[in-house]
Order: sequence, then C-alpha cells, then structure tokens
Amino acid sequence: MNGMRNPASIATLLALILVMALLACGCTQQAGSQPPTTTSPGKTRESITLSGSTTVLPVAQAAADAYMNTHANAEIMVIGGGSSVGIQAAGEGTASIGMSSRDLKAEEKTRYPGLVSTVIGNDGIALIVHPSNTVGPLTLEQVKGIYQGKYTNWKDLGGPDMAIVVAGRDSASGTREFFHEKVMNKEDFVAGQLEKNSNGAVKQTVAQTPGAIGYVGLGYIDGTVRAVPILVNGTPIEPSVRMVLDRKYPISRPLILVTKGEPAGLAKDYITFLLGPEGQKILEKEGFVPLGQA
Amino acid sequence: MTLPLPRQAKQGRLIPARTGETLIRLILLSCAGIAIVTIFFILAFLIRDGYPVLSETGITSFLLGTEWNPTGYPVEKFGIVPLVAGTLCVTLGAMAIAVPLGIACAICVARLAPPAVRAVVKPAIELLAGIPSVVYGFFGLIVLTDWIRATFGVPSGESWLAGSIILGIMALPTIISVSEDALSCVPREFSEGSLALGATHWQTISRVIVPGALPGISAAVILGMGRAIGETMAVLMVTGNAAIVPSPLWNVLSPVRTLTGTLGIEMGEVATGSMHYHALFGVAVVLLVITLAVNLVATTIIGRLREQYAPGRPCGNAVPGSRRASLLSPEMRERAKIILLVAVLSLIGLPAAGIAGYAGCVFLFSLVALSWRRLSPRTTQKIAFFFISAATATVLLILAVILSDILVKGLPALSFEFLTEPPRDLGRSGGIFPAIVGTLYLVAGAIGFALPLGIGAAIYLSEYRAEGKLTKIVRTGTELLNGTPSIVFGLFGFAFLVLFLKFGVSLIAGQITLGLMILPTVIRTTEEALKGVPVSLREGSLALGATQWQTVSRVVIPPAVPGIVTGAILSIGRAAGETAPILFTAVVFSQRFLPDSPFSPVMALPYHLYILATNIPGAEANKYATAVVLLLLVILFYAIAIGIRTHYQKNTHW
Repeated sequence: MNGMRNPASIATLLALILVMALLACGCTQQAGSQPPTTTSPGKTRESITLSGSTTVLPVAQAAADAYMNTHANAEIMVIGGGSSVGIQAAGEGTASIGMSSRDLKAEEKTRYPGLVSTVIGNDGIALIVHPSNTVGPLTLEQVKGIYQGKYTNWKDLGGPDMAIVVAGRDSASGTREFFHEKVMNKEDFVAGQLEKNSNGAVKQTVAQTPGAIGYVGLGYIDGTVRAVPILVNGTPIEPSVRMVLDRKYPISRPLILVTKGEPAGLAKDYITFLLGPEGQKILEKEGFVPLGQA
Repeated sequence: MTLPLPRQAKQGRLIPARTGETLIRLILLSCAGIAIVTIFFILAFLIRDGYPVLSETGITSFLLGTEWNPTGYPVEKFGIVPLVAGTLCVTLGAMAIAVPLGIACAICVARLAPPAVRAVVKPAIELLAGIPSVVYGFFGLIVLTDWIRATFGVPSGESWLAGSIILGIMALPTIISVSEDALSCVPREFSEGSLALGATHWQTISRVIVPGALPGISAAVILGMGRAIGETMAVLMVTGNAAIVPSPLWNVLSPVRTLTGTLGIEMGEVATGSMHYHALFGVAVVLLVITLAVNLVATTIIGRLREQYAPGRPCGNAVPGSRRASLLSPEMRERAKIILLVAVLSLIGLPAAGIAGYAGCVFLFSLVALSWRRLSPRTTQKIAFFFISAATATVLLILAVILSDILVKGLPALSFEFLTEPPRDLGRSGGIFPAIVGTLYLVAGAIGFALPLGIGAAIYLSEYRAEGKLTKIVRTGTELLNGTPSIVFGLFGFAFLVLFLKFGVSLIAGQITLGLMILPTVIRTTEEALKGVPVSLREGSLALGATQWQTVSRVVIPPAVPGIVTGAILSIGRAAGETAPILFTAVVFSQRFLPDSPFSPVMALPYHLYILATNIPGAEANKYATAVVLLLLVILFYAIAIGIRTHYQKNTHW
C-alpha cells in the first residue's frame, strides 16, 4: 500500500496549482511594470477604448484592426454594452469614445453637456420573414399592427394562412428603442413577443420559423431569410444600401461616435480614419450605409 | 489497508502541538468564513443597487406586478410576476427530466455497469458538464426548438419545454456525478447482506443502497437544481423570452422568460444608474432570495434525511431500516410513489413521443405502475433494469448528438494558425490565440483562488465540526453560496469589483468572480469525499495518539483525493465554459496584445463564441471551431484529472 505517497502527491498537486496561479499573476505583473516595447522607437504606445452599441461594434472593431495594422503603436480596444452604456461611458470618461446607434436623448444632452457626436454612417433596419413566406410589401402601419398584436395571421396581410410569430430585440437594446420610436410611435409591443439579445439571434429564429417576423440591420440579410419591402406612398421600397443612401427607405438611423469634447490624439486620428475612404469601405463591407454625398 | 502512522514523536516542533492545532483550526475556519462574508457582500451590493426601484415603484407593484415592460410609454413597468413564473416553470420541468434520468444513470454507473463500461460512461458524463452553456444554447436554438416546432405543430418552438430540456441536460452531469459518488460509498456489506438474505439485485438497490445514499442523492438533486435555476446563457437562447405567464399554466409550449434570462439579455446594454438598471438589480435580489429559499428548504430536508437514515454518520453507515420520523404510512407512501412515478414518466414521455404516442405511453406506464406489486421480483427487476439502461443510453445518446454536431462542423476549420494567431476580420478569419490564453488565465486564477479556500473550508466543515452555532452559520453560508446563480456572481463582480473597487473590466475581476462561483462546488465535493472515508480510520489514528490535524492530513485526506479531484474537474469545466460571470467583469471582444497586467481586460473562449454566434454574421466555421477548441481544452483538463483519480482509486481499498 502506498499511504505515504498520497500526501506527497497532494502537496505536489497543490503546489502545481499555486505555481500556475502565481505564474498567471506573476508574469502579467512583470510585464505590466516594464514599459511596453514598441516597434518604432521614440513613440510610446497610445491606447484608447471604445464602448457601447453592439450594432456599431463590428465596424469599430474592423476599423480598429485596419488602423492598428498600419500604426503599430496604437492600441484600440472595443467593448460592447449598448448605446446607453456607450454614451454614459463617454460622458463619465470611462471610455475614450462611446458608440451609439441612435441620437442622444434630451436627458443625456443635459446630463453630459460636453459630448460631441460624429455620424460615421447609417444603418437600415429591415423586416425579415422566413424565405417560404409569400407576403407582399407591408406598410409601416401594418408592421406596427403586427408588433402590437393586431394581426395574428399572415392571411390578414395577404400572406399564407399561418400564425404570426413576432420576434424582436430585448428592452435594453438601442435597435428596439429606435424601432419603438420610429415604427411603434412609442406604443407597447405585444406581450408574447419573442425577445432576443442580438441581431444574429433574431435572424436565426426567423430563418427556422416559417411564421416568424423580425427586424435586423441590413448586414444580416442573407439567403436564409427574406427581407420584406416597405410600402411608402404606394411604392414598395426594398431595404438596401442604395435605398437608404437615397433616403427612400423609411427605417434608417445614424451610427454615432461620441466623445467628451472635440476628439483629440488617437481618438481623433481613429475617427478621421473611419470617415475617410478606407473607413467608409469597411463600413459598407459590414453591411452598413456609408455617408455618401447626400 | 495499512495505515500511515503519524510520526509525531520523531519530528521536532517549533510550535507546541496544541498551538499548532489551534492555528490550523483558525485558518480553516477563516476559509469557511469567506463563504459567509461573500454571501453577505453579494446581498448587500445587490440590495444597494436594487433598492431604488423598490422605493420608486413600490414593493408591491414590483413583486406583484404582472407586466415587465421597461420601455413602456409613458410609464415603464417593472412587475416581475411573469419572470418568477418563468423561472419556476422552467426549473421544475428541468428537474422532472433530469432527476429520474440522472439517478437511473447514476445507479447504472455505480452498481450495474461492468468496470469497462463504467470506465467509459463516467468520464463521458463528466464531459457533458464541460460543454459550455453557450454551445448548449446554440444547439438548443438550432436543433431542439426546430424539432419541437415541427413535432408539436406550434408556430414557434422557443418555449418552456425547450428551456426545460436544455436545462435538464445541463443539470444531468452534476446529478449523476454526485449521486454516483454517494451510491458508491454505501458499504459493500450492506448489499452483500441484502443479497445473502435472498433479495434480488433490484430489491437490494431500491431498498438498501438508494435509501442509504439518499442524503448524497438529495445533495446531487439540489446541486443540479442550483445549476438549472442559475443558468443564463443557454436558457435565454431557447425560451423565447416573452415576459408572459404561460396560459393555461401548464402550457409547456408557451414562451417564457426567466429571471436569469432577463438579466442576461438586458443587463449588458442598460445604462448604469437608470431605473431599468436598478430594476435589474431588484430582479437579481429576487433571484437570489428564491435560490436561497430553495437551498434553505433543501438543506433542512437533507438534515432530516441524514438524521433519519444515518445518525451521526452521513455516508458509510446508513441504516435504511430506521424510518422513524416518516410522515406517511407505508400504504400511503406506496401509493404516492406510484403517482409520482406516473407523473414523472409522463413528463419524460411528453417530449419523447409526441401527442399520439404520449397517451399510449401514459397508459402503459400506469398499467406497469399499478401491477407493479403483483409482479414477481424477477420481472420487476427486468423492467427496472430496462428503464435504467434506457435512461443511461439516452444520456449517452444526447452527449453523442451534441458532440458530433460540434465536431463535424468545427473540426474542418481547425488548424495550427487558428490556435496561434489573433483573430482577424472580426473573428471570421485568423485565430483565437488571445482567447485561449485569456481563458487559461481566468481559469488558473479562479482555481488558484478557490481550491485552497474551498479545501480548507471543507476540512473545517467535515472534520472540525463541533456543531456549534458558528459551524452551522458557516455551513448555511456555503449552501447558500452554492445555489447562487452565476449571473448574480457576474452582477456582484460588476457592482463590487469593477465599479466599487474600481478594478475596471479586468482579468483579476473575472478571476475572483469565477473563483467565488466555483468555491461552493469545491467545498461541496471535497466535503463529500472526506465523508466517504470510514470513521474507523479516523478513530484508529486518533487512538494511536495522533492529533486532529495529523489524522486529517495523513489519514483522511489521502483517500479522499479522488473525490477532491472530481470536484476540481467539475469546477474547472464550469469555469472554463461560463459566460455569464465574465460578461460584465472581464472580457473584451477583440484584443491585439495579450493582457499585460491583471487590470487589463482579456479575451475568453466562451465569450468569443457567444459574440461570434450572435453578433457576427458569416462566422459559421470559426464559431464551431472555437467551440471545438473550448471542448478540447476542457477534455485536456479532464484527462489529466481523471488520470490522477484512476491512479488513486486503484490504490485505495477498504
């Protein structure tokens, strides 16, 4: 029997774990206490954080990657959290730049008077249904009716005889807030609405549920769902970058970067980069609408 | 077994034995005390941030309000009745699925399966615990909800039922592992005695072994329930999150929204300090109170059971015959058992068979249940073993389906570059190196924090319990901490570590939050392992003149190592795959450099996976590849630990 071996092994095990933990803390602390090594001498590493809207996050991240590729001393970190969080973070100074997918509210403007917002592009919100759903173009009034629970079957709207499954975003989402104001005129959503915490989850639900309807950013439209055109004054308008650019598609919103005071240093360079041709190209690639000439 | 004898006399001591003992006792006590302090802190911080909503909307309209509509216009409505109903429904459903399956599977592994099968099944089930909840959620969303929609002909499969099934699966590993341990430590002479008296295997199992292991099995069920109530990421992906009370109340196909789901989807995007923010902390307080209540009730029940079945010694000396404090007469108990059986089986049958087959199943089960007592013991045994094997096969099948889904879709995208490079193009291409490192940092920190503390606390609770008031408080604190949902730890970490202590979103905040989260699991499993060591060993050591600490460190702990390691495995698996606690405390989506101080944020695999799955269109391949890496990482941890455990098990017999 090996009774004596056991305590020794436990000690080893514990020691191993302790060493691992110390290693994790130790080497990080060491690294932190030394000035970071930089590739180009004479210039120290500058770092900024962006925080806020998950809608803007992909663009901000992609632009940050592209920017950092050419500027080795820059470190740009992007954190999600939602539009309200972003505006607050910029206002409180906990992030260098706040990302928002809606305009600042009056109360936010009075609370943080020094905030400067820069529009970097636009986002169209498309209504999507299952590819098998044959329903025709909808008016905004009909969309509102669906989300209020007035219509419960697609046949009431000229579609197939099928119960409508209403899918939308969670109540802290900036996208929902925008939809609530723009389409719902601040009236309540139907209580049985399925709530999802991301565009991707809404799309996923719609893609696999024949009776579902949802709303997502233009970048999320692909073969798995069908975008429903919106009837404006009798003309059906497809949700597309073109139509948003031409200001014909009715459900679109600005993407905004918020800074405390005029942006300076790396934040300024980064925003300038985003507004430039390369940044706008990234924006379009992510499925958003560039600023254009209009 | 030859006992390692304490070598007290030979060793020179700087500290007199008595002082040393007191010192050790104090250290262990303070380890245990951490649990209490943490619970107190969590409560204090949640209440601090949740109080404004109570003072603003009033306690009754918050607790009894039937409408949750934070964007209501002109008035926001924060009534939590639908959320509480959702949590209770989903949890009950999950337990109806997981408890029978789990216990049957545990019986199979512990008592029926040949060693070779056991050697495969046990690690496989532990693996089930290592699958990250985000993966379960995504699997549930894509496969399960679709299947429910098609099978039941409802417009949408996102429902109470889907949530219950997913949570049931997630609670299974905990229930199986812990009950299997309990079943295995019922002394062999009990079953030998029973068999010698002419009882069949099944009679021995159902009347001797299971009653003897009942305290352990109850603990298993409660641990599993804790996991089910507290689960966030998976449940919010499959229940539909409509804040409504199912109508009628037993409509399992209705979408529901749980308290945790509400926190998970809304907390991330709400502005600090707004009424909505305070309302969410209010929700967290309610969630915590519910779990605390469940735990208190459960603890009391277990205490009763322990007294009833095993006076003084919970495991290893069960006395199944002494049912003194029973409330029901044997006749009534028998009937209650039948009703319960039918109810449980019909609940399992519901998802398995569809409406048509379902009625038949219920009929069949009722028939079996009614004629149960008239059957010969042999037939009963056959039927029972059939169900037990079927349950085990079901569990393994579930594991196989989920694993193959991930592996088939993920393996092709796996490459050396994927493991060693930072992500590019929002994670659609490039690798996940910083996320792997980040997860390792997080888990190492968490286990380094929780293991010493947890083992210390467990030793105190199990070996030094003079059952005073203090011990009782410490024990209750641990039980309560155990049931605390992971998202509540996340909120606490956010409110206390990130905001109050100004750590910011950082590695260290994540490590401590995760460490606190796994602490109760470590304590619990270590305690169970220590209790599995027969009292005669301790008595032998003490009788030979060893001090308490010498007995503990040289006699009690060594044979308990396999159990302790099992606890550590479960914890590591959990910590590595958790998203909710690090969501607000530690992670960033993308990072070019590795974290250079404990105060910088990190990337982590589960969060990366979560974002890829929900916010980045067109990242299919890398999403599954990330899931595979996370799984492989966990398997690696498991393989090492299982190796250690098997090694010890081979060498420990009594």
